Amino acid sequence: MKTYKIVVLGDFGVGKTSLIRRYVLDEFSEAYRATIGVHLYKHGDTLAEAIPHIPVSLVVWDIEGAPLPSDQTRRYIVGASGAIVVGDLTRTDPYSAMWEAADMFEDVLPGRPMCFALNKSDVATVEHPEAVKRMQRRYDCAVFETSALTADSVSPMFHTLARSILSLGL
Amino acid sequence: MTLDPRLLIDTLGVIAIRLDDALCIVEIWGEDDALAPGDDIRETMPVLYGLEDELAGADVDLTMPFIQTGRNNDEPVSLSIRRDPASGALWLLRRDVSAESEIHRQLVQNHNSLSLAQAQLVKARDEAQEADRTKTAFLANVSHELRTPLHVIIGGASILSRTGPKRVEADEVIEYAADIHESGILLLQLVDDLIDLSRSETGDLTLYEEPCDLCAIASGIVSLCRDLPEARGSRVEAVLPGEAVGLTGDARRIKQVLLNLISNALKAVAGRTEAAVTVTVDPAGPRLIVADNGPGMTEEDLAIARKPFGQPRAAVRAKGAGLGLAIVHRLTDLHGGTLVIETAPNQGLKAIVTFDPARARSGREGY
Repeated sequence: MKTYKIVVLGDFGVGKTSLIRRYVLDEFSEAYRATIGVHLYKHGDTLAEAIPHIPVSLVVWDIEGAPLPSDQTRRYIVGASGAIVVGDLTRTDPYSAMWEAADMFEDVLPGRPMCFALNKSDVATVEHPEAVKRMQRRYDCAVFETSALTADSVSPMFHTLARSILSLGL
Repeated sequence: MTLDPRLLIDTLGVIAIRLDDALCIVEIWGEDDALAPGDDIRETMPVLYGLEDELAGADVDLTMPFIQTGRNNDEPVSLSIRRDPASGALWLLRRDVSAESEIHRQLVQNHNSLSLAQAQLVKARDEAQEADRTKTAFLANVSHELRTPLHVIIGGASILSRTGPKRVEADEVIEYAADIHESGILLLQLVDDLIDLSRSETGDLTLYEEPCDLCAIASGIVSLCRDLPEARGSRVEAVLPGEAVGLTGDARRIKQVLLNLISNALKAVAGRTEAAVTVTVDPAGPRLIVADNGPGMTEEDLAIARKPFGQPRAAVRAKGAGLGLAIVHRLTDLHGGTLVIETAPNQGLKAIVTFDPARARSGREGY
């Protein structure tokens, strides 16, 4: 079974760690704890939607958040098979930092698959659907309204990214 | 197995591992119980996954701080990777950085927490200002909507009360009385809508729930709408399944939802609207769909139309205060349902009300 590196990018406090911990450890904490540098999670999963079921191994890189990704972020991205770019639906502008992160990922690893997570969907909804459509069109990737609190769309998002990676034969 | 003496850089807390190829198979190892000769080092240090191409390079020299996270513990590590020019072998230097990592984390945590709190304060201030602007605009709109029919009523009554040579003729009396009556109905409708909107905002709008049949409701409202003056020249059809679609809900409010949606459809192309009211049973819940052949809306116009008194550009000349869609939205919410509007310029508009599936009733449960 091949192991794939996935990076999770976005501004700080948008819920990257919460999404990963919900996916990998099936747990959630309200407390904010800043991620420094990068935290690594290794997780084995099965793509049950595929027939036959496909086992995958993922190393998920939870990268320190920032509104503008740094050179260090660029180094962390190297070698990734795919990315999840996270934004916070409760913010006035969830999208700018997502664009920055997605642009950097596309610049470092052109053509590698991405998924967008509009997180905290349990407390807020998409207020600017046109901005979401623009992102979808620009990067040709799936957008999920996720909630680490309720687990809504979290596993399906990771599975979608894993399927995209497999379909590219990476 | 023999230990390479160059590995014995036995600094406290430091483990060095030499790798002989880019596949990261450990051949010589330091004092680490987790590793054994022949192991794939990537399983112990997953940070190396994806870095295989870099490790194969002739001049590898990178340092990477990271935290290996498990369910119960975090392990802050700094990993340096270099290629030894003499032997050509890769050297991995793994250092425990728990102490400095925690200090750094505290600093960043404080900075981020302050930034998040500041952003929340700014957002709360902006929302308060927006709410204030909305309230002011709402009052201005209410005033405007009240004034128009009131002017008709006052003006008409004033003319009707004339005596002497300026007294109106008998046939004009009927016209003025009809205008006053129509303006009175408009005012009553506006006040009713405002009360509904206000009650739904404050949570005081109560549903009187009972078993009802969506098909019977749709059929009745469609018949009613065909007789409305604004339906003249237009066509409204009901597309109903063969059997009743049962629902627990407030029949009067569901009729109001449907009436508002059809009324909006009839205004879409005055005198030439073709509207279809469809009732379906979907896995997501019972559905009411009202589709029209109107000019449709842009997303920006739709966002305006959803707000109370919102008048999208295309609808500015249509009659109505712009409260209908807002009320539909609130009443649908109260029924635990969703209102989805599919529209685009020149492609008509489809309003889909989906009720909570828990409200669905089977035919045997009666209405």
